[in-house]
Amino acid sequence: MSFETVNSKVVRAHVSASTPVLARRGAMLGYSGQVTFRPVHGQGRGIGGMVGAAMSGESNAMMATEGTGQVLYGYKGLHVTVLELDGGAPLVCEADRLLAHDANLQTSVQFLGSGGMKQAISGAMTGQGLFTTNVHGRGSVAVLSHGGAFPLQLNGQQVGVDPQAYVGHVGQLSVDLAAKVGFRDVVGRGSGEAFQLRISGHGTVYVQASEQKF
Amino acid sequence: MTYPPGNPYGGGNPYGGQPQPGYGQPPGNPYGQPQPGYGQPPPGYGQPPPGYGQPPPGYGQQPPYGGPPPQGAPSGVPATLNPQSLPDDDNVNPYVFCIALNGEWFMSKGAMLAYYGNIQFDAVTEYSSVQAWVANRFSSPVYIQDWVVAQGHGKLLIGDRGFDLNAYDLDDGNLTIKASNLCAFSKQLELKQSIVPGFVTLIGTGKFIASSNGPVIFVEPPFRADPDALLGWADCPSPSVHHDAQWMTQNIRGMISGALGRASGEERQYDFTGQGTILLQSSEIAREDPAVLRLVESQTQLLTNAQAGSLGQRLVARAQQQH
Repeated sequence: MSFETVNSKVVRAHVSASTPVLARRGAMLGYSGQVTFRPVHGQGRGIGGMVGAAMSGESNAMMATEGTGQVLYGYKGLHVTVLELDGGAPLVCEADRLLAHDANLQTSVQFLGSGGMKQAISGAMTGQGLFTTNVHGRGSVAVLSHGGAFPLQLNGQQVGVDPQAYVGHVGQLSVDLAAKVGFRDVVGRGSGEAFQLRISGHGTVYVQASEQKF
Repeated sequence: MTYPPGNPYGGGNPYGGQPQPGYGQPPGNPYGQPQPGYGQPPPGYGQPPPGYGQPPPGYGQQPPYGGPPPQGAPSGVPATLNPQSLPDDDNVNPYVFCIALNGEWFMSKGAMLAYYGNIQFDAVTEYSSVQAWVANRFSSPVYIQDWVVAQGHGKLLIGDRGFDLNAYDLDDGNLTIKASNLCAFSKQLELKQSIVPGFVTLIGTGKFIASSNGPVIFVEPPFRADPDALLGWADCPSPSVHHDAQWMTQNIRGMISGALGRASGEERQYDFTGQGTILLQSSEIAREDPAVLRLVESQTQLLTNAQAGSLGQRLVARAQQQH
């Protein structure tokens, strides 16, 4: 059912008739067994749905993996982190960080602008644009990161995260962008840490060990 | 096919013909074997090297990344290495390999990081005019320009793009590997161009070093691999190309490009059958391999003039589309 970690950059999915998998196109490394791949257009039918996906650029070309067999997934040598979603709070991350997930999970596009201007700015800063993807349901998700993602547990505390190092989060969390732009930043002599994501609440934040995207 | 059946690289090799318990499992231990002292004479050519028939180094049965350095320095502090403490024909860390050079090795241009001792690097093309055996060993005119011969005595450190490096011991076997991932091979091995473009085949008995993006994954046929993720294969017949019919019929664009002989890469896999081992890596960002252009160009001799003209037009159109 879920993904099995082969090494830090590759996961193996056991695909059967009852457990198809949705994966990023071009992420299949190889397979054994009777497995077929089918291009999937558009994302979930959640808020925003197809229109949102088309508008936002938050639609990543995906493919369905069906049949019976074992499939290896990996993408451009990026590190892969497997997350288990318990059906509670959705996983919030960018669509192009999704390597593969169980096909019974729903994805939807969320407009950050509805959370006010601050949310929209934070989206722009994290490179997420004004939209982000929510993954709902119970199942496994394989998430891509540069350098590997580590979880930070939050129980009411607050954590500051570099926007470029932010991968995603699960739980009841609020994400705010804190900007401390002083004179030194304007003249290009800032610390490089003028923008931070202030994340607080209850849940888990995933941070990658790099400020490079892909 | 003279090697012992079911065991391509000699006795005790973990990725032989036997089914493996999970192919993510590494073949052996890079730091585990005690290093022979530097003062000890390196094995003469023609004799089996010390690691011969033993598992090639791999990663994972011990903590390789950030694991204890080989020389027993305090953990977290890398040991300062010198010619004596550098390993003989073994990994310094997952990304750097040290060759104890005594004689000649073939090396990919740009793979050298550093060296101790007296080592000369000559282009294979030049060296083969001095030493006739080189031309016999390196029978690939397409790749010969990208290779050098390292000659002399000393410790030679090699690396490739920060990828994981693995040494493989061939025992009267054959292994085909992606040309851009092959870093070095000992002069006992013979290199030939594979039928599959971009791959070369190593034949004989000896050691070679290849890079991979992430640890190498070993699988057995029947298996279908994405061309970008395929690192190589040993002992199986050369792959055939499998086209996913379902993908092509369900995807209009795929159908059109399929009819035009183009492929987006999604529906096309290399299909392996028979007995052997397939080496996979996480798909890498393709490095431009200058030899591929030479390879394809040499193939265009098959075309008639009219065909060559229309191919030229398509290529021009493609180049313009991308810019």
